Amino acid sequence: MLEMAHVSKSFRTELVETRALDDFSLTVGAGEFVTITGPSGCGKTTFLNLAGLLETLSSGKYFLDGIDVSELKDYQRAKLRNQKIGFIFQSFNLMPDLNLFDNIDVPLRYRGVKASERRDRIEQALDSVGLLSRQKHVPSQLSGGQQQRVAIARALVGNPLFLLADEPTGNLDSHTALGVMELLHEINASGTTIIMVTHDQELATRSQRNIHILDGRLSSEELNDHTQKRTAA
Amino acid sequence: MFFYYLRLSALSYKRNPILSSLMVLAISIGIGAYMVIFTLNYVMGGDPIPHKSDQLFHVQMDIGSPGQDRDIPRQLSYLDATALFEANRANHETMTSKFAGVLEPANAEIKPFTISGRGATADFFTMFEIPFIYGNAWGSDADKNVEQVVVLSKEINERLFGGENSVGRSITLEENQFQVIGVIDAWNPVPKFYDVNNGAFNKGEEVFIPWALVVPLELSRSGNTNCFKAFEEGVQGFLNSECVWIQYWVELTNSNEEADYLNFLNSYAQEQKSFGRFEKKLNNNLLDVNEWMIEQEVMPDETRILSVLASMLLAVCLLNTIGLLLSKFLGKSGEIGVRQALGAHKGSLFIQHVIEAGFIGLIGGLLGLGVAAIGLEGIKVLLGEDMMMTQWIRLDTTVASFTIGLAIASTIVAGMYPIWRACNINPAIHLKTQ
Repeated sequence: MLEMAHVSKSFRTELVETRALDDFSLTVGAGEFVTITGPSGCGKTTFLNLAGLLETLSSGKYFLDGIDVSELKDYQRAKLRNQKIGFIFQSFNLMPDLNLFDNIDVPLRYRGVKASERRDRIEQALDSVGLLSRQKHVPSQLSGGQQQRVAIARALVGNPLFLLADEPTGNLDSHTALGVMELLHEINASGTTIIMVTHDQELATRSQRNIHILDGRLSSEELNDHTQKRTAA
Repeated sequence: MFFYYLRLSALSYKRNPILSSLMVLAISIGIGAYMVIFTLNYVMGGDPIPHKSDQLFHVQMDIGSPGQDRDIPRQLSYLDATALFEANRANHETMTSKFAGVLEPANAEIKPFTISGRGATADFFTMFEIPFIYGNAWGSDADKNVEQVVVLSKEINERLFGGENSVGRSITLEENQFQVIGVIDAWNPVPKFYDVNNGAFNKGEEVFIPWALVVPLELSRSGNTNCFKAFEEGVQGFLNSECVWIQYWVELTNSNEEADYLNFLNSYAQEQKSFGRFEKKLNNNLLDVNEWMIEQEVMPDETRILSVLASMLLAVCLLNTIGLLLSKFLGKSGEIGVRQALGAHKGSLFIQHVIEAGFIGLIGGLLGLGVAAIGLEGIKVLLGEDMMMTQWIRLDTTVASFTIGLAIASTIVAGMYPIWRACNINPAIHLKTQ
């Protein structure tokens, strides 16, 4: 489903070139729940941005659902993002002017889905996170946990192949975080692949596989189901 | 998606009401000021008879004295005008001049009053397509037979006869009885192309009589009379003089007819030279309506200077708008990043922000209409009530539509750089920091 081979990403200023990811290779199969851990600045978010087609590779190859995305144009990348990827962010990133219904509507608008179908899918998505009755509320009228649930509903409404979650519980208290994690596990159990960046080692152990990044390189990979640990060469 | 983007534009306005209102204010002031000057230009520089202006030609012949370095006279002398008229070389032609006279109403309750009148030959009405409410114009026979008939303006018919069909009734003008044969509808071409000598923006005349009556009734002339040589006293002396006071127009439908008529004028002038008249070099002119308006500089230089100043003010306002739009759109970087993550490509973001800029321009344009209306009222006050032009200065549908269109278009153009910047942000940066 997701295959990165020898991917590098550099950021260049006039004076300095910073290599955020260096010769990074990873394959994620359908239905997996993978966590990405590592210290701040190690390249976790850069990996997530590359995986989500928000950044372009400096070198290497990236296949998403069998498609080589390395040379795609902006509108082709946008279309792939819209159809195959769902995003969940640490700070929820809901649009403050739009009510919950309209927030979840956004990806469907860009996909050109008909109004009646959009309504059905949005109501279904809101129902799945238990917020259908609050569809006319704006984000500021919700708690942090509820906002993250809306963000998850927005990510799921387009039936993506996988979810990319960047510290989804980072702004939540432990109790609410637990609820969000349970929801993500339910989503994964229903067949959606999840790749989640986290600082929290406890959450990382709950995934099927944990990838540890250090200095832009894959440092270690841990299969939690089999408590099997491999260290990169 | 258009209405979706329009709704987003309205929401975006509400999110930053102060910034958005500042932009609207800048646009409305710039557009309003520009539209005041545009309206003046529109009134002064419009084509008064658009479907026919290229077929109506004003006739000029240079009868000036050799020592005088002056432009070709605007008008013709009695000798030349009557000679051209009798030659009858154009499809339609008219000799015409303005006069003033005292009208004595039949109703004794209405006191006699001074009116402005126009003497013209019959083709005047067909050439200039003057609309009638009642009756008709006189024919060429009335010109030849010097019939005492009159055509009234709608306004004077209202005053004398309460707006009723007055055809067949009589009026007394300068102690002479005239029979009413027609009443024209409202007709006030702007500029008043057929007689710029008496003010290009003055009101039209109130009565029209056959031109052949102007001389025998000794009606007092209105407008310029320029004489190039001394002449004998008396009416006949004036008629035989080298004084110009008659406007002459011909209708010519194509360039061949125009060339033929100019040849005729030149031949006539050459002949007059042989009689000792037309001492200057051959210099005759046939100008169509719009050429004549330009030649006569109907639009004053001040208007051009004001146009430049208004354009500069609009440019300054739009430059301010660029800065404000840049601030507004870059302030939305977080939202733009989220939209990109959710599937928006640069093209759709571009369209969204073009519509948002257009939305701001629309509100600015609507407010600009108000600014323009206030500005035009100010212009009217400055010009004074006696300037008849003030009655034409108004925001009509065309000007209002243009105002709105200009506001939208100029705001979108001003928004191009901010939109380009907004569409090219790196979403990854803003998603993390939002």
